[in-house]
Amino acid sequence: MKHAVISCLHANLAAVKAVLKDIDQKGISDITCLGDLVGYGPQPNEVVDLIRERAIASCQGCWDEDIIEGLNACECSYPSQLAEKRGHLAHEWTAEQLTDINKDFLASLPTSIRRDRILFVHGSPNSQHEYLLPDMNAFAALERVDKAGADTLFCGHTHQPYVRELKNGSIRVRLQNTSNNNAEEKEINLPMRKIVNAGSVGEPRHGSTNATYVIHDDVTGEVEIKEVAYDIELTCQAIIDAGLPRIFAWRLSHGFEFAEQAEDASHVCER
Amino acid sequence: MIERWALVSGLKGDLETYEMIQSDLKKTRGVKTLFILGDMIGPERNCDALLNRLQNPRRGDLQPQCIYGWWEEQLLAEQGLRGEQKADALRLNQGEEAVTALLNAVNSTHLKWLASLQFGFIELDCGLIHGSSADIGDNLTSETSPLILIDRLTRLDVNRLFTAHSTEQFHLELTGGGLNSHVKDLNGESQYQQKVSKQSIIGIGAGEYYTIYDVGSDKTHFLSVGGQYNTKGKGFA
Repeated sequence: MKHAVISCLHANLAAVKAVLKDIDQKGISDITCLGDLVGYGPQPNEVVDLIRERAIASCQGCWDEDIIEGLNACECSYPSQLAEKRGHLAHEWTAEQLTDINKDFLASLPTSIRRDRILFVHGSPNSQHEYLLPDMNAFAALERVDKAGADTLFCGHTHQPYVRELKNGSIRVRLQNTSNNNAEEKEINLPMRKIVNAGSVGEPRHGSTNATYVIHDDVTGEVEIKEVAYDIELTCQAIIDAGLPRIFAWRLSHGFEFAEQAEDASHVCER
Repeated sequence: MIERWALVSGLKGDLETYEMIQSDLKKTRGVKTLFILGDMIGPERNCDALLNRLQNPRRGDLQPQCIYGWWEEQLLAEQGLRGEQKADALRLNQGEEAVTALLNAVNSTHLKWLASLQFGFIELDCGLIHGSSADIGDNLTSETSPLILIDRLTRLDVNRLFTAHSTEQFHLELTGGGLNSHVKDLNGESQYQQKVSKQSIIGIGAGEYYTIYDVGSDKTHFLSVGGQYNTKGKGFA
């Protein structure tokens, strides 16, 4: 059976509606959301309401956690102090807008959802804030999936969709300790595992302005990365009307992260 | 020029063992640096004498370079000097009595010094940490999955990780292997193989069991107090 996985909705109602319509048109009723329902975008309540109405199983994302726990929960690393200030603004605005019911809903979300040997998380099994990028150390990536007891790991957070298969691996080791005079050598064969990043519905950063999500066939194991066009102008105008930083609208209309190459380029958020 | 490091952990207030190690090191050629990878304190005995000695070495002592370990973290947490949690891990594992014993084992005059200690050292291409950068209580042993070991080395971006929390003495070297990675995204597909880098995890032991690392030859020697250090020995490379 096919099911759809969406992530990083970021309060972008037009994008969420377009993606859900695309999924509906394909006759897929099983949808999992990997969190970040809110943040950056202008319609946090509308998006959370829609996810609740559709009873879409969701994990808690880092933005969802921050809205509930306060900024101290954040372990993110903004690329610059200006980016961090914008993040603060968006956080405060979103926290003010969200109804108590929707805050309670975000607080109730689990950090992971497991279906047999498939695990759904926002960032990684270790943290909602960890980025599993497609080029991260392959052994470390495999460790994340294997340690979590999963064959396939669905994640988001990077806003860049990809499917990564890790296979045909082995590690040779030589062990010496005080109880053996001769070194013991052995080779360990590694299991095959898969990481699927669903990209972002509400704030794509893969170089295109289209929303992205993935469709997984749990019989064949096939994963399709889908792109969906939506009314970007509508969301950009709503961002400006809400008084949110205009740069959020700019990057929606360009499809990649904007980070100043400023004097504080090495800045790491430590809040 | 020969340069060797001595790596010690888990003294838990045992000044006598520390003095014997210092005595051993005086007889060992080339040991320039003494690293103490935490667990200088523990609940079993009063630790003040050892802590005084570490902060005020005697003439002829190798100057110790200390980081904090699991027991120091528990004490600092309980005293409100580290994180938002109390000594919950200790309380959960060993009960309230152990927490009380730990508090009684260390005079509060040492708290400032303990709180000033670093989490770890990076020396050359080596990481020296009580557990690992994932967690101070990370129990890395010779039986730990090599995948986890590679992850811990990758997090620190080092070629050798000296660890102490397991109390085991071992040298596990990653000697070969690889992993194929096939990535599909909206731009197409790519495939590459990541090779295993030649890296090592070294468990340094605890208490009377300690380790000498020969920087020039990249060999480790596992010793116990009073044991003979054979400079002609092969060591574990």
